[in-house]
Amino acid sequence: MTNRMQGLESACKEYEEDLVLHYYGENSEDDRRRIAQHLSACERCRVFVDDLRRVLPQMAKAEEMPQSFWDSYYRETVAKLAEQEERKYWWRSWLTPVRGWMVPAFGTLAGTVLVVGLLFGKGNLGSFVERPSRNIPQEITADSNQLEFFSTMDLLESLDKLEQQDGTQSELQKTHSSRVTLYKGIA
Amino acid sequence: MKTRIALALVFGLFLPLLAERAIGADDRWRNLSPREKDRVQRNYQRWKSLPPRDKEHLREEWNRYQRLPKDQQDRLRQRYNDQRRDRRED
Repeated sequence: MTNRMQGLESACKEYEEDLVLHYYGENSEDDRRRIAQHLSACERCRVFVDDLRRVLPQMAKAEEMPQSFWDSYYRETVAKLAEQEERKYWWRSWLTPVRGWMVPAFGTLAGTVLVVGLLFGKGNLGSFVERPSRNIPQEITADSNQLEFFSTMDLLESLDKLEQQDGTQSELQKTHSSRVTLYKGIA
Repeated sequence: MKTRIALALVFGLFLPLLAERAIGADDRWRNLSPREKDRVQRNYQRWKSLPPRDKEHLREEWNRYQRLPKDQQDRLRQRYNDQRRDRRED
């Protein structure tokens, strides 16, 4: 491009724009006459116009595409737009099967299941619907030892008493068995 | 470099052990009955509000309980459950 432009000779400054318009035939009749008059007298501007004739057609040349290209171009564009639309509203495909008669059918089924569940569950909704798990503090589930500790905590509070009772009972059992032995010995 | 490798190895061995304990606790929690879960939650709430001295005492009792022979632990637990059931029936 630069090489092509380098080929252009510079014209008279005040005529440069008019010469381009003259080349394209886009100036008025008066201008055309004025430019023609100038060109007959100015060598530089004649060379400039010749260069325009040589360079501009090369720059404006567009690549010719075969008709088959334009036929498939339209089809491909439509297909790409449809694909883009589908990707944007992907969730619609989930709703498609639920349209029409399926909506009331599904509603009726859900209602029936709920009523049957309530009747057979004797109003105990908790047994019918699984309750969500409670929020368990991290301290409890940190490890199994902690969990064991918290489940045994009330026992630990009365551990002394329980041990005393256990000891007393053991003593009683010992006394009882020794008396039985003594009685058997006497008999 | 050697220290880093040693640390990585120690943590690499230590972390799975911790994870195993936590997963074990989770499984154990899932297996508890709703009543047991209630009791654990209640005890935990109570534990939070205890003064530090009582907390320490309970920890000591817990350690002592764990050192008891298994049969004695079972006996004490059985006795405790019996007494609680009796209290509830009264």
